[in-house]
Amino acid sequence: MKKITSKTWRKTSQIFFFLLFFLTVLQATYPFEPWLPPELFLWFDPLVALAVQIAGRFFAPVFLLSLVFILFPMIFGRAFCGWICPFGTVIDATDRLISQKKIGDFRKVRPIKTFLLVIFLMLALFGVQYSWTMDPLPILWRSLGVFVLSFGFLIVDTILNGFVSVGIFPNVVMGIQDSLSGYLFPVDMPDFENLAIPVLLFFTILGLSRIARRFWCRTLCPLGALQGIISKIGLFRRKVDSEKCTACGLCRKKCKMDAIEPDFIKTEKSECVMCLSCKEVCPTNAISFGFDSPEKRQTSVDLSRRSFIGAGATALVGAGLFAMSKPDPNRTSEAIRPPGTVIEPEFLKRCIRCEECVRICATSGGCLQMSLLETGMMGIWTPVAKFRSGHCEFNCNLCGQICPTKAIQPLELKEKQEIRMGTAIFIQDRCIPYRLNDNCIVCEEHCPVSPKAIRVDEKEIFDPISGQKRIVRLPYIDPELCIGCGICEEKCPLEGKAGICVVREGEERIQV
Amino acid sequence: MERRKFLKTSILLAGGAVLGSAHLFGKSTTFPSVVLIKNGNPAEMVRKALDMLGGISRFISKNDVVLLKPNISWDRAPEYAATSNPELMSEVIRLCYQAGAKNVIVLDNTCNEARRCYKNSTLEETARKAGADVRFVRDNHFSETPIPNGTALKSWPIHNAVFEANKIINMPILKHHGMSKVTIGFKNMMGLSGGNRGRLHLSFSQKIVDLNRVIVPQLTIVDAIRILKENGPQGGNLADVEKLDTIIAGTDRVLVDAWSAKIFGLDPNKIEYLRIAHEAGMGEMDTDKFKPTQFVFKS
Repeated sequence: MKKITSKTWRKTSQIFFFLLFFLTVLQATYPFEPWLPPELFLWFDPLVALAVQIAGRFFAPVFLLSLVFILFPMIFGRAFCGWICPFGTVIDATDRLISQKKIGDFRKVRPIKTFLLVIFLMLALFGVQYSWTMDPLPILWRSLGVFVLSFGFLIVDTILNGFVSVGIFPNVVMGIQDSLSGYLFPVDMPDFENLAIPVLLFFTILGLSRIARRFWCRTLCPLGALQGIISKIGLFRRKVDSEKCTACGLCRKKCKMDAIEPDFIKTEKSECVMCLSCKEVCPTNAISFGFDSPEKRQTSVDLSRRSFIGAGATALVGAGLFAMSKPDPNRTSEAIRPPGTVIEPEFLKRCIRCEECVRICATSGGCLQMSLLETGMMGIWTPVAKFRSGHCEFNCNLCGQICPTKAIQPLELKEKQEIRMGTAIFIQDRCIPYRLNDNCIVCEEHCPVSPKAIRVDEKEIFDPISGQKRIVRLPYIDPELCIGCGICEEKCPLEGKAGICVVREGEERIQV
Repeated sequence: MERRKFLKTSILLAGGAVLGSAHLFGKSTTFPSVVLIKNGNPAEMVRKALDMLGGISRFISKNDVVLLKPNISWDRAPEYAATSNPELMSEVIRLCYQAGAKNVIVLDNTCNEARRCYKNSTLEETARKAGADVRFVRDNHFSETPIPNGTALKSWPIHNAVFEANKIINMPILKHHGMSKVTIGFKNMMGLSGGNRGRLHLSFSQKIVDLNRVIVPQLTIVDAIRILKENGPQGGNLADVEKLDTIIAGTDRVLVDAWSAKIFGLDPNKIEYLRIAHEAGMGEMDTDKFKPTQFVFKS
């Protein structure tokens, strides 16, 4: 019987956690009947927990889950990176496609990740939460949830549509499409905006394997840095029997994290991800892994005092720049936030750009999009409602249900149906009844509140074009009833800009 | 090529149906062109209506492909009377299969997100249970279709199922609508059209009649079991819903709509599309002259 190697165990674990992660992404869809919360991995992410709670100065019990990966490295070192992290798995899986399996010597740049970690935590102290730019788990959620899945959907749908149009079992194929849309995406392909930079970022990270294996994990990942710092006191570690070791150097060649010192005996604990490859490759079985009292020899501190101060200063300057450069979004922006969003300054401290809300909205009303600069430098990729591409479904409160940091608060359906995202206003220079003296009322037809917030006033109007008087139903808005759901703006039959649009006037945000 | 053939057949069928019903009416033969049933449960009312109209076999033959078009436009539960009655629909599906139909297709181009409407209206589940082929409507299911004799529309994207099916049963719900005061059978056919449907609201009456020139139901069954009196077509307030326990059914789709409007409390003469449809020879609209055959269940 073939022996089950440690490599098999590790790969099984990696695949298991990746699939688990992927399942949490798939769960974020209408109809929302999750048996795994989509936020699961993000709740377990200590970098999310630290950055969001420090910046936002609040405590959420659910983030206690992240303590698991504060305690875990105290015992098992960076095994999270080698055995669990789904992004690490994606990097391992793709590096055979793009890398030359180089290890290289990047010891000099290795502390960058710690430097970044310190900057993100310092920024959080100053009230700026920016760790989402490099935290691997939100990056992976965003990438899979928004564009990897939709790209897959696009390919599958295009092929199936092809079958339908040339008449190859069209009814069977349409049935397949209908059942697929039950748990992937809505019936028609959603449109996502501003995907270019996130897509580029994702593939750049994967492409870093071209420089060296696990280059991202070794030099840049702030979550890896956090795991690494704690790993220094880890109990489980690599041990070498120096009597058996022939100093052949195979282990060091094999180590994709470059964690083995040139003497082949000592290990950089903050780098070793416990993949156990060195143990397998050792011809004399000199290497073992096990529990031990902390090594007597102090491993070198990653970050010098000078770098630490440098990181702090960078963060201070960064926070200052952010504070100065952000245009006051509460005054200048017309961007509409999802229903139940907390007040803007607090929202920016909480939103980690996982885009869970954007994905689940795409399977429902489809109004939420990733912003670019609509809400200022600080608001890049935050969710904003763009009503020409979708509307906020009256019976939907899913964005607030799945926000992992409660940047969008969970609302009861009844509450959500009453909270105001903004107010619709008519643009009379565009609106058909006002401009062409013709009846339209598509907006009135779709208005979901009862009694309707859009009503009509019948007036006899002289139409100068035809030279006739006629009765025209002129629509108007009752701002007391309008909740700014934007279905009027979406369904307005005008091409291009609608004759009605939702503005931030009257917007209701949640104070925290 | 095939599509053109379908189109031709459907136009012929359409003409046939119009002529046929006019013929039946003029001779006042055994079958009425509109019936009105009251006070029963949905299934027994529709069975009675079909009996009085000559039985399901008069409309559905062996191996027919039937397109059944309820109103699934909105994400509302059935009791809000924004969508067609599920029991009524499921009984019609059952009867179609009983008459030997090969397939009964159920679909609607919804206004809210499709899956929400299909689910919350309970129509998807009910139709599937009854064995219907429930389909979601996708952008690529429409074909730009010429409308011969169209006055406001010369062509419009029409759902391919209209041409795949050889019989169409229109199953609207009677409810308030800001545009035409009331929405019944003619307006319900908008759910088989695609494109920028909001545009149909300009010169609405003309366009809705034009659409019905190419989408021709052989039978219209109006659900007035619960009607939505105000804030239609999407409603949302149970106080606007009135229980009438009535269905209006028939082969003259203009007369069916006229009588439904009358029951809703409107004067059919004041509904523009009915006048246009009547003038286009699609049916009768004089509710004083042409009365429905009635049947009232004893409670």
